[in-house]
Amino acid sequence: MILVISTCKLKFSEEEFVKPIISIIEKVGYDYEVVRYNEAFSLQKYSRVIICSTALMDIDYLRHVKNFNVLLQYRGKVLGICAGYQILALLYGNKLDRIQKIGLYKVNVIRENPLVSKGEFYAYFLHTLALRKVNEKLIPLAIQDDEICMFKVRGKEFYGVSFHPEVLNENIVMNFLRY
Amino acid sequence: MRVCVLYSGGKDSNLAFLKAYNSGLKIACLISLIPSSEESVLFHYPNMNMVKLQAQALGLPLICEECPNDEEGSIKALFEVLKRAKEEYSVEGVVTGAIRSIYQASRFQRVCWKLKLWCFNPLWLKDEISLLNEIINYEFEVIFTRVAGYPLKKSLLGRRITKEVVNYLSKIKNFVNPSGEGGEYETLVLDMPLFRKRIEIIKYEIIGEDYDATLLIKEAKLVEK
Repeated sequence: MILVISTCKLKFSEEEFVKPIISIIEKVGYDYEVVRYNEAFSLQKYSRVIICSTALMDIDYLRHVKNFNVLLQYRGKVLGICAGYQILALLYGNKLDRIQKIGLYKVNVIRENPLVSKGEFYAYFLHTLALRKVNEKLIPLAIQDDEICMFKVRGKEFYGVSFHPEVLNENIVMNFLRY
Repeated sequence: MRVCVLYSGGKDSNLAFLKAYNSGLKIACLISLIPSSEESVLFHYPNMNMVKLQAQALGLPLICEECPNDEEGSIKALFEVLKRAKEEYSVEGVVTGAIRSIYQASRFQRVCWKLKLWCFNPLWLKDEISLLNEIINYEFEVIFTRVAGYPLKKSLLGRRITKEVVNYLSKIKNFVNPSGEGGEYETLVLDMPLFRKRIEIIKYEIIGEDYDATLLIKEAKLVEK
């Protein structure tokens, strides 16, 4: 069972940021449940968690990062997409930089990982906050210009991607669900 | 939240409109940019004059401006009309009918961000055939107004999108994006659930040949539903 966490303040944004992720989960054939970022949730019955993204103008999830503290004890796998990447970064004590990136950019994967092979690919970005550097709790996996656009949490199977894999790189979400 | 809808008058912007309305957003006005020719990189071309009738059918104000075909000019024009919508109608967000075009979506997102407007794309990444079925289930009356690619024949022009047509588009999806988002075809909505009146075409002309033809509406009016 997969837990999908919506970070959308407005339900209408879920059409664009949550539904495409659900569509990939359905393709892979897993069951899922959806909760919202400002609701209490427990993780016992879930093998994986996906924290989805939201609209550029929406930063309400940043006021609710504490709600995600429950993840710190979680032994399953987590994928944070864009807003989810930011939440994971903050949860592990990192500081977000103002980096506006909207559109198609080339990603360079610098470390082996289970989600995507080393090398380059194009991805769709839609954010104004990301990481230029990380503390010792995060391991950079991929970069875009001076941005660390993919990381792993040290000692955990938690991954953050600042781009939107559901747009051009569905395989990243599928690999996360299957590995 | 008060929003405006980027409105071409075709099936996608109308479906996005309906979804926004159903979600409870308050639609304050429509925005249409009329490109000077079919070469436009961002906006639909044929029969853009019909949006005036559609705005009347919806009972909404319309901000309609001409814009150049090139990218820079189109984006500048979009910025100006959205700025006007923000000032005149106090909108806080924009709804678009983008489905899969990263080119369109990223440009709309950039302009919205610059103006600090929310950008909503309710059709984003949806399966194109499912969207076509949705417009049929909602009983939209949609006709083809342009075909631009093999194997779309001239005879499709004026034809209504029905289940049979959706089956046909599904069969040829290796040649043509079923939603026509790449400009393979264009549509015009004559009626949909939120129209108070429907559009009746009185006079039209078809120009061009198979795989590259346009239905130009010369005269149309609103009639009771």
